[in-house]
Amino acid sequence: MIKSYKLRRHIANGLIYLLLIILGIIWISPFIYLVMHSFRAEGLIAVDHLIPQQWTFKNYIDLFTGVGGNASINFPRWFLNTFVVAIFSCIISTVSVLMVSYAFSRLRFSARKKFMNVGMILGMFPGFMTMIAIYYLLKAMGLTGTLVALVICYSCGAGLGFQISKGFFDTIPRALDEAATIDGATKNQIFWRIILPMSKPIVVYTVLTSFIGPWTDFILAKIIMGDNLDNYTVAIGLQKMLHNDFINTYYKQFLAGSVVVAVPITLLFLKMQKYYVEGVTAGGVKG
Amino acid sequence: MKKILAILMAGVLTATAFAGCGGGGESSNTNSGSSSKSGESSATGVNASTVDYAYFGEEDNVKLKVWAPDAAVNLVKQQIEEFKKAYSEKKFDITVVAQGESDAATQMLNDASAAADVFSFPSDQFNKLVDAGVIAPVAKGFTDFVSTSNSEDTVKAGTISNTLYAYPETNDNGYYMVYDNTVVTEEDAKTLEGTLAACKKAGKKFIFDAGDGFYACTFAFTAGAKIDGLEEDGTQKFVEYDEDAAVKTLQAFAKLIKDYKGTFTSLNVKNVASGFKNGTCGAGVDGSWDTKVNKDSLGDKFGAAKLPTINVDGEDKQLVSMFGYKYIGVNGSSKFPNSAQILALYLAGEECQKQRTEELGWGPSNVNVQKDKVVTESPVLNAIKAQAENSCTQVNIASTLWTPMGNLGNKLVADEWKPDDADATRKLLQDTIKNVRDEG
Amino acid sequence: MTYVEYKQLNPFQRFAHNFKKFILNIPHALASFFKAIGKAIVGFFTGIGKGFKNYGVTFVKGDWATKLSYLIFGIGDIHKGKYYKGILFFLTEVLYALYMIFFGWTYLQKFNTLGTVETTQDFNELGMPVTVYGDNSMLILLYSVLSIVITILVFAVYIANIKDAYHHQVMRAEGGKPTSLKHDVKEFLDGKYHITLLSFPTLMIGIFNIMPMIFMILIAFTSYDQQHLPPGTLFTWVGFDNFSSLFNFVDSATKATTFIELTKWTLIWAVVATFTNYILGMVVALMINKKGIKFKALWRTLFVIAIAVPQFVSLLLMNQMLQTNGAINILLSYFNGGVNPQIQFLNSTTLMARLTVIIVNLWVGIPYTILSMSGILMNIPEDLYESARIDGAGPVKTFTKITLPYMIFVTTPQLITQFVGNINNFNVIYLLTGGGPSTEQFYQAGRTDILVTWLFNLTMSSQDYGLAAAIGILVFIVCATLSLLIYNNSKSMKDEEAFS
Repeated sequence: MIKSYKLRRHIANGLIYLLLIILGIIWISPFIYLVMHSFRAEGLIAVDHLIPQQWTFKNYIDLFTGVGGNASINFPRWFLNTFVVAIFSCIISTVSVLMVSYAFSRLRFSARKKFMNVGMILGMFPGFMTMIAIYYLLKAMGLTGTLVALVICYSCGAGLGFQISKGFFDTIPRALDEAATIDGATKNQIFWRIILPMSKPIVVYTVLTSFIGPWTDFILAKIIMGDNLDNYTVAIGLQKMLHNDFINTYYKQFLAGSVVVAVPITLLFLKMQKYYVEGVTAGGVKG
Repeated sequence: MKKILAILMAGVLTATAFAGCGGGGESSNTNSGSSSKSGESSATGVNASTVDYAYFGEEDNVKLKVWAPDAAVNLVKQQIEEFKKAYSEKKFDITVVAQGESDAATQMLNDASAAADVFSFPSDQFNKLVDAGVIAPVAKGFTDFVSTSNSEDTVKAGTISNTLYAYPETNDNGYYMVYDNTVVTEEDAKTLEGTLAACKKAGKKFIFDAGDGFYACTFAFTAGAKIDGLEEDGTQKFVEYDEDAAVKTLQAFAKLIKDYKGTFTSLNVKNVASGFKNGTCGAGVDGSWDTKVNKDSLGDKFGAAKLPTINVDGEDKQLVSMFGYKYIGVNGSSKFPNSAQILALYLAGEECQKQRTEELGWGPSNVNVQKDKVVTESPVLNAIKAQAENSCTQVNIASTLWTPMGNLGNKLVADEWKPDDADATRKLLQDTIKNVRDEG
Repeated sequence: MTYVEYKQLNPFQRFAHNFKKFILNIPHALASFFKAIGKAIVGFFTGIGKGFKNYGVTFVKGDWATKLSYLIFGIGDIHKGKYYKGILFFLTEVLYALYMIFFGWTYLQKFNTLGTVETTQDFNELGMPVTVYGDNSMLILLYSVLSIVITILVFAVYIANIKDAYHHQVMRAEGGKPTSLKHDVKEFLDGKYHITLLSFPTLMIGIFNIMPMIFMILIAFTSYDQQHLPPGTLFTWVGFDNFSSLFNFVDSATKATTFIELTKWTLIWAVVATFTNYILGMVVALMINKKGIKFKALWRTLFVIAIAVPQFVSLLLMNQMLQTNGAINILLSYFNGGVNPQIQFLNSTTLMARLTVIIVNLWVGIPYTILSMSGILMNIPEDLYESARIDGAGPVKTFTKITLPYMIFVTTPQLITQFVGNINNFNVIYLLTGGGPSTEQFYQAGRTDILVTWLFNLTMSSQDYGLAAAIGILVFIVCATLSLLIYNNSKSMKDEEAFS
């Protein structure tokens, strides 16, 4: 009986391994395809074989040096722009999310629930129509076409994403606050000295999610930047490479550029995965 | 709460007060640039692409932005240097920004005041630009010269309610058939049947983008449902056509596509060049903008012809395409409207058009350049010219045209479409027209 | 059902019971939802009434400085020695006046018509074209909204100023002294810390979320479309025309059909996409986290890479791979004797395209589910599984009877967020199929278009802003009502302080 139970478990595990391998291949294959073809030398856009026949670094070299292309594609500059925007918007976003969620989780004040409800539904408004309005508000401030505008756009709504981190804060025992209050700490001190040090997972989670935003948005950023090529982000830039005027020349460079964008984010994700899981777990259950 | 409100408000107000200073009065600024000293020159009009200094009015230290398609940026920069030399008494600061022509109208409508002063765009964007009031018409004194020096069609298409709205730039914005001349012979290329048979024999594809309304309208046009301007309220008009004959033509298309399944492939036009490069494509329908890359891919094997004919009930019918022109327009909210007009006139002039034809292969709209050897001896430009005679002009197009036309094409090439089903074909055609006209 | 009875149910029955209760509760919840809205409105107006009363009473009782505060902000405070606050009040008034005189009023006065002066084009004596721009309806609307919001806020400051002046007057009469700046700052770091924390985010959200949103809501009641494009042409108020065209099967049948059909598909899509992702993601997470399975980090990493590639890249790549000459068809040709099967995944039949979208969405979504589930799955009490095993339940049974009900119970809020997220899932549809396969029965939309992608097409390609805004509002109302209902009735909301 024991033997057959063990055997059954072995078979079950074997099946699971098999399934995981198959699924893993399915999930990873588009990425592998992307990486392989970013090193492809032959062909323009589509090729009729899966594995490149000639391999080359040229796509990457061209991408960064601008050789063999036109002056209007400036990938290194765009990469730098995106990095700067991501850093700043990630700092502002993280701070505002933590502030909002701490207030909603720990402080009790009138209209708290109303605020939370409004905050929750505001984020559900389809954004496309509001983009013209945002554009002209930024224009009135003289910010259109600048990186500052992008930072503002990516971080202004961050406070609305408080659910997960509020859920996380909710799990931290209240007794801690009470003890500190008895010791004479103000709420400000409690926030900085007690709650924040315990919130590494949720801070990492928030930092990660807000850092990635600027690398992927290509609609709002395009409207704000207009024709100011120097301030493009990689997302608009990569999108531009697929434009009819560019795609034949730039398709392979587009693939290379995608890899260049994906690799750092992947590494970041892998490194921070543990905290991400912790944060989203604690926050998700409660939020 | 009130204390914080006070602080908060102070912040808002500072921000908005700033805003007030920055954007104030924007709703009603006039861009006259008028107040000139000499009125007489306008009466005579100009007869060259460079003009008298009087036309500048009082403008000097001119700052202009020009949008050109990526491929043309370097050439346009050179031409602007020439322009500066021609007007050496004035100071200029002119920047050239790469901007896809297909996006020009969208960008102009988003925010004309941040857009270019001088920009190039295809003819189908005319209505949007004029309706939104963001394009300035051609200067009065220049109109006669521009009208006579460019081909009649381009001028006609650029004229809306008796006003010429932009400077014709090219006469080539259309598609034609490109083929690998080792697969398809010149004789094969005359008929769709011949082309497809030749491709099939060689095991190669014939690529046509049936899902894109710009190409797919060929089906409807060939069938007889040609567009004919706009109604008063902006809906698309069609010419009178024989519905039975139209249905038969569409059925012929569908049958041919079905017979050559695997050879006739509906793919994005960008696959034509790729297909030539890797040898999977025998022929395809592609536009003048891809001529260069197609030539590079095929080398000596490059062949170009007008669209082929299709056999309907024993009669060879010429495929009818969409054909348009490109123009150089002036932004209505330009800070230097006079200079912008003069620059546009220059860039659309004979010399500049000729340079673009030579270096980029663009088909000129200027009548003198059209007679030039570069044009008459170019197989591509000849193919385009021949196709232009069998086409609908891409102007006065309702924005509702593309999607239903693309759908018509998609349906005809779909695996499950039955070419024999005349009723379904008729219904499809009727629905398509109805949809384009946004009726019920 | 009594408590004892409830306790005797197995988890699945409990879930069913709770689910039933939840569904049955919806009408009640809806009723109380609208009641609450009604109450809020009544409260608002009685509040205003009270406010007016106080306004009068305070004026009568006020000394000269308080009375002057009715005209000049902050006088009362300055007079009573609360200088910094008085000055802030005063500055608010000055800035507001400047704003209104130099900017706000030019737009606000045209708010009722959205502009009357048309743009004209003419030629000057040089023969050069002259464009005289008239009113720009869009800017009038936008900056009017800005001015109205600012006015409301300033009005709040105004009332605060009066109240504060009177408060200090009373305080002085009782022999008290106004609090110092230092004291106030300290208060903001403790008792009123929520104000300190929330004001900056609220300001940002107010300017860049709420204001544009009000603007968009108002656009739905205007004739802003391809025939009315500013700055060249004016648009104006049209009432509910845009909404009625969505439901009018007589005059605008195509639009109405499109709206109904797309709503149906949007809902189907949201339900199917949410649940397939959720359940299959959970299954994969369970497999990875099963005891005895090695290389857990490796498996997880394989899936996480899918998140790290920007979505528009991976989806555009998928689009290419699914074309008839794409990688998938090439791959299939190896199993098809070297002949490319030329399967049209994306633009032949509706069913095929929709299935493809849902499957690709699994590829996109499952990694997220795995990440967010892993932790929770490990928290399921082990004794539940233990007893199930003793009862002889197989893995499938344990999953459906224990894991699934437990997870759904715990993660309802997350499910709702995902559901709403899928209703607004722009990227997958737009980048993968672009709405295709196309159809002649819809207005500017295809068979896989959902409401948001249709909205995008309407704004970007056919410039039907009014119609798009109307659709946006309807989508918003559905999403907002749904999530408000569920959140406020969910377990986690009700026992918010369970852990504390």
